[in-house]
Amino acid sequence: MPPSTTPEVVENDLQPFFVLHKASSRIKDRTPTAQTKLCKRNKLSSSPASEKQLRGSVTEECDHHLFQQPQIEAFDIVWTKIESTIKDVLRDLNASIFHDIQQWVLECFNATKLLGEPTISEATRSFPVLNNTTPGKLFTSLVSTRNIEYVDDILTFEELGNFLKSHGFHVAMLSSLEFSLKNGIADCLKALLREFLGGAIDSADISILASWYREQVNYNKPLVLIINDLERCCGSVLTDIILMLSEWVVKVPIIFIFGVATTVDIPRNILPSHVLERLCPSRFMLGTPAERMDAIVEAVLVKHCSTFSIGHKVAVFLRNYFINQDGTVTSIIRALKVACLLHFSMEPLSLLHGRTLAEDQEEGKSSLSPETMLKYIDELPLYARNQMVDHQTKMSMAEGLSDLVTKQKLWSTAVLCLYEAGKYSNVRLLDLFCEALSQDLYLLRSSDCHAGYEKDRGLFSTNDRCQQYPVMQCGGFIGQIVRKVRDLSTGVLYQLIESWGKITADISEVHEKLETLRASVRCEEGKSPRKSSKGISRRPASKISVNIDKNPRMLNSQAVAFLDCLVRNFLRPIEGMPFHEIFCFKNVEKLQLVLIGDPRRRIQVDLLEFHKILKCSCCSKSGNSLVPSRHDSSIMYSLAQEHGDLINIHDWFQSFRSIVLQHKNKRKQTAKQSPSLKKRKDMNGSADQNESSIQARFCRAVTELQITGLVRMPSKRRPDFAQRVAFGL
Amino acid sequence: MEGENHAVKAVNVLRSRICDPKFIFFDDSPDSNYSKLKFMISSSVTEACNNSILLLGPRGSGKSAVLELVIQYLMQEYPDSISVIRLNGLLHSDDISAFKEIARQLCMEHQLVFSKAASFDDNSQFMMAMLKECGLAHKTVIFVLDEFDLFAQGKQRLLYSLLDAMQSITSQAVVVGISCRLDADQLLEKRVRSRFSHRKLLFLPPSMEDSQRLLMHMLTLPIDSSFPHDYAVEFNKKVQNIIEDRRFKETLNKFLNIDSAVKDLLRFLFCAVSHMDLQTGFLSRENFEIAFFSIQRHPKLEFLRNCTELELYMLVCMKSLEVKEQSLCNFNSVMKGNICCYNRGQSFSSNHYYINVYWLGFRHLIDLEEISFLNFHCLNISPRKMQVLIDYYPICEELLSFRILPNLLRLKQF
Amino acid sequence: MDKDKTPQLPVRMTRSSASSSNHIATAEVNSLEPLTINDLLVGGDPISLDDIISSFPGRSSQIREVVRLLGPLNSPMLPLFVYGGPSTGKTSIILQLFRHLNRPLVYSSCRTCHNQGILFESILNQLRLHRKNAANGYSTAKRCERPSDFVNFLREALTNVVNNLKKSENSISNKMTNGKIGNMIYLVFDNFQLVREWEKSSTILPLLFNLHDLLKMPEVGVIFISNTSPDTFYTNMGYVEPVPILFPEYTEGDIRQILLRNQLNQKLYSSFLDLVLHSFYRITNQVSQLSATLKPLYEKYCEPLNDKGKGVAHNSEMNLRLSTHIKPHISSALNEIFKISYISSTEVETQKEEKWKGKSSRSEQSKELGSLDFHMSTSAKYLLISAFLASRNPATLDASLFDSKGGFDNRKRKRKPSEKALERKETLEEEMLMKGPGTFPLERLLAIFQCLVSVAEDPSDNEEQNNNASGVQSGSGDLMSDILLQLSSLCNANFIFKGRSCPIEGSTRYRSTISEDLALKVARSLKFPLSKYLYRS
Repeated sequence: MPPSTTPEVVENDLQPFFVLHKASSRIKDRTPTAQTKLCKRNKLSSSPASEKQLRGSVTEECDHHLFQQPQIEAFDIVWTKIESTIKDVLRDLNASIFHDIQQWVLECFNATKLLGEPTISEATRSFPVLNNTTPGKLFTSLVSTRNIEYVDDILTFEELGNFLKSHGFHVAMLSSLEFSLKNGIADCLKALLREFLGGAIDSADISILASWYREQVNYNKPLVLIINDLERCCGSVLTDIILMLSEWVVKVPIIFIFGVATTVDIPRNILPSHVLERLCPSRFMLGTPAERMDAIVEAVLVKHCSTFSIGHKVAVFLRNYFINQDGTVTSIIRALKVACLLHFSMEPLSLLHGRTLAEDQEEGKSSLSPETMLKYIDELPLYARNQMVDHQTKMSMAEGLSDLVTKQKLWSTAVLCLYEAGKYSNVRLLDLFCEALSQDLYLLRSSDCHAGYEKDRGLFSTNDRCQQYPVMQCGGFIGQIVRKVRDLSTGVLYQLIESWGKITADISEVHEKLETLRASVRCEEGKSPRKSSKGISRRPASKISVNIDKNPRMLNSQAVAFLDCLVRNFLRPIEGMPFHEIFCFKNVEKLQLVLIGDPRRRIQVDLLEFHKILKCSCCSKSGNSLVPSRHDSSIMYSLAQEHGDLINIHDWFQSFRSIVLQHKNKRKQTAKQSPSLKKRKDMNGSADQNESSIQARFCRAVTELQITGLVRMPSKRRPDFAQRVAFGL
Repeated sequence: MEGENHAVKAVNVLRSRICDPKFIFFDDSPDSNYSKLKFMISSSVTEACNNSILLLGPRGSGKSAVLELVIQYLMQEYPDSISVIRLNGLLHSDDISAFKEIARQLCMEHQLVFSKAASFDDNSQFMMAMLKECGLAHKTVIFVLDEFDLFAQGKQRLLYSLLDAMQSITSQAVVVGISCRLDADQLLEKRVRSRFSHRKLLFLPPSMEDSQRLLMHMLTLPIDSSFPHDYAVEFNKKVQNIIEDRRFKETLNKFLNIDSAVKDLLRFLFCAVSHMDLQTGFLSRENFEIAFFSIQRHPKLEFLRNCTELELYMLVCMKSLEVKEQSLCNFNSVMKGNICCYNRGQSFSSNHYYINVYWLGFRHLIDLEEISFLNFHCLNISPRKMQVLIDYYPICEELLSFRILPNLLRLKQF
Repeated sequence: MDKDKTPQLPVRMTRSSASSSNHIATAEVNSLEPLTINDLLVGGDPISLDDIISSFPGRSSQIREVVRLLGPLNSPMLPLFVYGGPSTGKTSIILQLFRHLNRPLVYSSCRTCHNQGILFESILNQLRLHRKNAANGYSTAKRCERPSDFVNFLREALTNVVNNLKKSENSISNKMTNGKIGNMIYLVFDNFQLVREWEKSSTILPLLFNLHDLLKMPEVGVIFISNTSPDTFYTNMGYVEPVPILFPEYTEGDIRQILLRNQLNQKLYSSFLDLVLHSFYRITNQVSQLSATLKPLYEKYCEPLNDKGKGVAHNSEMNLRLSTHIKPHISSALNEIFKISYISSTEVETQKEEKWKGKSSRSEQSKELGSLDFHMSTSAKYLLISAFLASRNPATLDASLFDSKGGFDNRKRKRKPSEKALERKETLEEEMLMKGPGTFPLERLLAIFQCLVSVAEDPSDNEEQNNNASGVQSGSGDLMSDILLQLSSLCNANFIFKGRSCPIEGSTRYRSTISEDLALKVARSLKFPLSKYLYRS
């Protein structure tokens, strides 16, 4: 180990940062890690309280727009819609796996029953049941949530618990907090009893559970114990509880469900071997966060459960935030919420949302005629309405809006079809979505499709008919998808076309295009048996072979043609259309500001370029040079730049002092004309007073820097060196 | 059939004797501890004076038993002028519970109602008052403090208040401390020791002769109506012969050399008696031999027997690492050692194991507590330093017993 | 009492019949009448000593010895100390013997009673024939925490019970039955080795060891059952040793018998054991482990037989075929010993999970070249890698590694690696590997992380660009942004341990304990050249 120079107060100087990062509303308070996690938990069940916080925080961001009541209402309407949609989507994702788990629990329960059911006297007795020779095995399922951040899955496990309860099982939910080393096994036993029995049981005694289970009402139902984050449980306590329960398993048929975030080796790492052999594990997989993400994007942003949508930049930002920062769906939902809120707060016309949405809900029709639009616009409050001057604009705007909505529908169908095709070349919807939204790519596509035409006219001798379609040329995911479609096998292609049929069912103009394709497919099918009969009647073999290898080609090329026209005609990103500002949120910077504080960087930047913040005359003219009138801590920090990661305090102080004193001397020259005697007196009076005050300022500045977590006080081993903590700028 | 009945009866008698200390330690020869103690206490009872005595001696040398005998005697001698308070250091080492217990027993003695809720001070004052009362009523309170040294831990308030109360003329109490620490009185604080009269009775382990006498005393059946006469005589004669027997003497010697307290001797007898053959219905020397071997244990060897080959190999590797003064001896290094020694040793070269197999053996060794870790702060086990708790040579002998000598030799030199 | 009449089964009975006959039992007994003295008996129909001996192969001598020491009816005894490795049949033999002798016992397992208060209470509850139920709110008969109270209560409870026993005995003594309970009562402490870990062990251990002397009741027998030998129970104050009885590990022959016990096709199984048992026995001699490991292997062994080897004409060439079939699996099974077997659990399950399970088991088997099957954000991945490096590489060599990449800006002035350090690095590496992962301060982690990000930026950007034309880029700026959050979540996932503060100066150090292949997986998922940064000796 090197001469280690390490944080003395790691806790204190790392806390504020991710608190800063996590919830911009809580810049001030320093919650320790666990609580931050907790507050993160609260975020996901977005209680009205947290919503208010969020709103408050956002009003901080954009306080120049003051909220109007109708806008808040509109936001509420839209967001509740979106949120409910998300909930449904997630539930549907988990439904199948929940069902499997429930089946599994039942099987395990029957298996344990086979070990022999003790009579009630045996069951409540202290010593083990005689007639089972093998040590009890606990059935355990490791539900791997496949995301290192377990925040998303708390909700999932709660739902699982409720699901199992609804099937009449006894369910206990424990979290890793009960498995702490200091309270030991007693604590988690108490929690267990509390969960099962309900009501406070003071003594942590497992025999209570046994006698409770033998009550008539409770008997003959499986007991399920859900622990949603195995990684964070203390191994020794877990060991104890498992061994104890395995002694009682015949009397109390308890079944474990562990939530495993990372790998299924976890139990092997945290439990000793003789415990592992008491477990009889099996494994379930929840959907990956990526899948959930796609599902949400599909439901909310592509299928437009509400008319709210986001611009390309925002989409890309969200994607990166998801991939790079923390891959939790929760935070993405929060991001969406913030975006939505910002949109409503900044865009006066965005009121139309709420109305349209309300309209949608009451009568099911989705396409908005200009008249209804017009109605809404008339209903707009004055401050919004006076933006549009006369009736003409109103009319045109109404037209445009309804047109916009319909366009959006087409767009989403196009994206969905592409996504359907993309499943074969596993393209993730998130990426596709970003690409489909980008305006410039759209322009580029349209341009090079013309180019493609010229090129195609140029070359005739191509035998691959697909090449003529410009989609093949355009890069990115779309191109990838289309290329994949080109060489799909026939059977798969049929399926694909069927699924397309489902998607485009209610969009007429796309559907009839698809119909033509389908028709050709059918004729293919129709042809194929005839072809085989031909094969029997002796035809030249070559023909047949050509025939055979051409037909699928035909099909593929038609499919590609279909995609091509989809992309060319309907894949118009919303930002390209008029009036899109009303429905579409594009302002990345604000969102970024809200979501990623990046505090360390921020602080350093502000310290170095302070004059951008406090716009005082002296500094603004003297750029970045060290002017004594600067704030002490910023002077200190920019001085610290010159040192390595170890700062010799004495030098530091000297340089600081010199800077500050040069300022003093200046002042002295200015104060020349005052009589010498008096001057000298107050000089040497002020001199030592200066010394002490400078030292004081120095110390204060250092402490400030330490508090901001940029510098650490000298360690015991190196009394004369301070240490830089923060890198990266 | 009925011979068996006799036998069962005999066994029962012997076992109840063994488990009954009063029977064992009763000898009223004038120089026995019994007589001395009896004299001391009874004199202090009759002269109505305070007294304090320490009974010292190794565990299971019958201190408390003798005391019980004495108290029993006194009880029937002076039935109404004695009350006994028994405390045990294991249970009442902390003052609060001690005083509580004293109050409880006093209440029981004098048919008073004992309130659990009484505070520490109430109890202590109550005790003082009771002492005065008893003093006035010429009733001697005998405090028996078993595990005396445990009372000497902490602030010794109990001892101090007791002994201090005994300084006054009015009170009339005897404090008898029982301890297996010969330096028990050195543990006392100055203020306590100054008030303590340093009478000690030393209980020594029995000599060879004594133990033989004890054996006779224990094992001879009573010649009375309880057993048919000839059976009893026969039985006693056999016992006589066994005890006279030279080889038996050797066995007994060996046993006494290892642990010589009376209780240990009793354990020996207990095993022997319980091995008695009920068909014949007589003790035989073999019973004693068996008992001897079943009591003499070599725990390390037993556990080495329980080891599998793999674990023995690992042990040898750790040992050889220690012998080579290797700086770090942990799972990883042992892994390397194992691998190289297996590659040398033919026996395992057939199948080469992966780490988790070694891990299994390793865990088992830890569970058997043949190896232990030196530092516990580290979270994961494999890099922890550890030490082997067994000598090298037993391990080698075990390996020899596995008939894999060549490997053993190789291991020795690496 | 009908609890005695309830059809209790002899030990070795097939599961099915057990459950069936017990149904009747539960049906009739569910009415809760107050407990009687007979609930202290093990109950069940009488079992002869020979049955017990035959049902526990290789244990006859121990059984006989225990019986001898327990002695005939109404004969007092000294405390016994039964010890031996796990799953050597200590507990069940004792219980069976009490069932055979039909004497009352108070059994308390120190695992179930995980501290002294609960131990006391459970003993007292049993003695006072107290039954917890909803009516009394599952409360105990007597709250008692202190040893002193416990001994008092225990004494009075015991005297009660013993008097009852004597009374009942006098009442039934005239009719000559073996249903005689006798007037002894036995306290059995199972898993006694656990008491040593209790927080009050220093006081509770000598108390329990001296319990027999404390009570001074000849009608009470005390039996300790422990995994570890008596000499691992060191107490600051000695005690009169109880009579030791060792249950040694089973020999190979015993294990063979035990495994053969409830097999359908004895001959087939024994031939199977001939093949495999010895090599397994060299690794472990614990029955539970062996049976767990051999079960799947046996199924493999039986695969060639069409009908699971029930009553096959068993002959030599068949034998040969099977052995050749099984040979390759043995060594793998040897190394699989003691993994969690997801495969075993699949059989119980529906087809749908079959797929999952298949996947998982495969990922179990093929550690190499598996891809990361859980989601981590990119910055977390980089952080993990840098933590791995930080605890794998000696810190003195950081500079030589990362300066060459130009990763470190000159602010990080580490000593230039002297050739001394360079030639020392192999030995260092050796030791590092031996000592396991080293610890590192937060700074070092951050520094390495930053330089990794700065190095990996450009390639990642390129591939981002060419696979996705929509100008999506992963700026390292926002990679850097919330490292500390990532760090905390990595700590939560047990990838990085927050070690205790180092002795020289009170400051937290971290330690990454991820296995190398996991690190490699992560690196692969980032297309990050990890091996370039690793020292290999």
